[in-house]
Amino acid sequence: MKQKSFRLQNKSWLAALFLILIPTAALAQAEADSGKLAGPLETIFQQIIDILNLLLYSKIGGENGMPLIVLWLIVGALFFTLRMKFINIRGFKHAIDVVRGKYDDPEDEGDVSHFQALAAALSGTVGIGNIAGVAIAIRLGGPGAAFWMTVAGFLGMSSKFAECTLGQKYRIIKPDGTVGGGPMYYLSRGLSSIGMGGLGKGLAIIYAAFCAIATLGAGNMFQANQAYAAVSNALPFFSNLSWLFGIILVLVVGLVILGGIERIGAVAGILVPVMAVVYTIACVWVMLVKFTSIPGAIGTIVSSAFNPQAIAGGLLGAIVIGFQRAVFSNEAGIGSAAIAHSAARTDEPVREGIVALLEPFIDTMFICNMTAIVIVLTGVYADPASAELDGAKLSAASFETIISWFPYVIAIAGFLFAVSTMITWSYYGQLAWAYIFGDATINIYKVIFLVCGFIGTVINLDLVLEFSDISLLAMSLPNLLGCFLLSGVIARELNSYMTRLNSGEMLANVAETREPVLK
Amino acid sequence: MSCLKKKSVLIPIDFSEPSYEAIAIAKEYVEDISSLKLIHVLAPLHPADPAAMWDTLNNEDRQQKVQEFLHSKLDELGYKGVEIKVTIGKPGTEIIDYAKEIDADLIVLPSHGRKAMSHFLLGSVAERVVRLSHCPVLVLK
Repeated sequence: MKQKSFRLQNKSWLAALFLILIPTAALAQAEADSGKLAGPLETIFQQIIDILNLLLYSKIGGENGMPLIVLWLIVGALFFTLRMKFINIRGFKHAIDVVRGKYDDPEDEGDVSHFQALAAALSGTVGIGNIAGVAIAIRLGGPGAAFWMTVAGFLGMSSKFAECTLGQKYRIIKPDGTVGGGPMYYLSRGLSSIGMGGLGKGLAIIYAAFCAIATLGAGNMFQANQAYAAVSNALPFFSNLSWLFGIILVLVVGLVILGGIERIGAVAGILVPVMAVVYTIACVWVMLVKFTSIPGAIGTIVSSAFNPQAIAGGLLGAIVIGFQRAVFSNEAGIGSAAIAHSAARTDEPVREGIVALLEPFIDTMFICNMTAIVIVLTGVYADPASAELDGAKLSAASFETIISWFPYVIAIAGFLFAVSTMITWSYYGQLAWAYIFGDATINIYKVIFLVCGFIGTVINLDLVLEFSDISLLAMSLPNLLGCFLLSGVIARELNSYMTRLNSGEMLANVAETREPVLK
Repeated sequence: MSCLKKKSVLIPIDFSEPSYEAIAIAKEYVEDISSLKLIHVLAPLHPADPAAMWDTLNNEDRQQKVQEFLHSKLDELGYKGVEIKVTIGKPGTEIIDYAKEIDADLIVLPSHGRKAMSHFLLGSVAERVVRLSHCPVLVLK
């Protein structure tokens, strides 16, 4: 009886989903050809972006200066790298040991192992941005932007360490065994523990509001937009049917997040790592084919990093674009990944923080750099004939010069990456929404999320990117401010952890607690 | 007097203080504590929750943990022996369904649960229960 009513409820949501989609589809079909649909939507988004731009993007040093928010992120990453005494280097080997399970203790509280938490967080960070974002960076900032992305990834490892350590330290274990963690918790609970409860509560609510909005952009519209670009690039059938693609994508994601059909999510969860491996192999293949040109390509990236000629804003412009795209891809300083990392089974907050620093490494320093090298090696970005190609289309065109059928792989990978990233971000956004409005209204948010996913496929990349960038980076304001204020707590935890780690007592403890389990 | 006493009173619990306080009020309507029934409704796990993604925590585990938590909490509050039901779904719907199932005479719940953001409105769960319940509902201010 109970089961039945629950299932009926699911079905009613599916029906609601279709009801939303049908008029949207009809509207889109009727008006897409004349471009009327995209028009008003684009005007609305442009206005929202203009207001946000005014608040966050005021530039220091004139027209081509440094946007305030990018400076904030650079200062944050540098601060934590220095304050934690290069934890991004000295914690690296330990991070790999922990992920391999050497320090896992089944008796600790939490839901998943260190490896599982890292994988869950990566499903939100490794997305179409790793294929498309790099191309956008190179298009805007020249090959040198890829160098600054790497630098940003390297420094970002430290901000990621800081926020994920805090995520673990101030998480709560709910009565049903699930974990509540992430910036909302460490801002409110952490700051109140150092006597700044009022500020903490305010920052947590601001963070939740920014997160709920940013989810719609970077975690949703950008993914949908670039997945469409990748698919329509390989399958010309879709080239005038963005609305149809939007409906298919929203339907797949909607079935998982509204319909509760977890199988799709599980399938995407299996296929995404497979696609990542295929993608990596393809990158290596391109590098092998163009083996002799690799030193030249790296030379181009490094030399144009310090001497970018064709870019507005010169060196500073390349740095800004590099950092912006890197943060967009690896989310260091944004705080979102701390939500997933706080579920790890451990009683040592620092340990999960150290695991988390692998994330910018894998995402930015490894995968993004592979894409960058492929784009620079093949030279498509510099070819005047393909000057209009951007994002996923530029990456696909670059691979196509070596592997003719690879745009199809990019289309499949792009679709799957987008689906899995959208599902993960809908989780972050839903938690943020529930933090402000309570659990009862989360379905309203899910519907807004899906509608935005559809809008993201039909409007153009520039608008989507602008909205996504600015709303995502805005999350770093409350998040990094909280992390700065709590940096003393993090440093103390880190020192104590490192002392105990170096004395060798940690592994001994694990062996001790494990023994009864083996018996 | 005893003929006026209720045989089965349902109290939805969301771990908030007001919901625990509702037990004391509900107790006045029954002869024996065994006539009190508690329900807690868990939200389904989001598919991207790491625990759901890796299937390390299933619904039975979650229900079991809440049972244990509430039993010890009720012992502490002095309500030993109250029956507890833990379900998964939408709070309003689950409460109404369970009230029918146990043929409740009365539902007692606070007007607002954990997220008391809007004091000028009736909480959405309370509102839904009042609207759809088959039996009287006592909404606490």
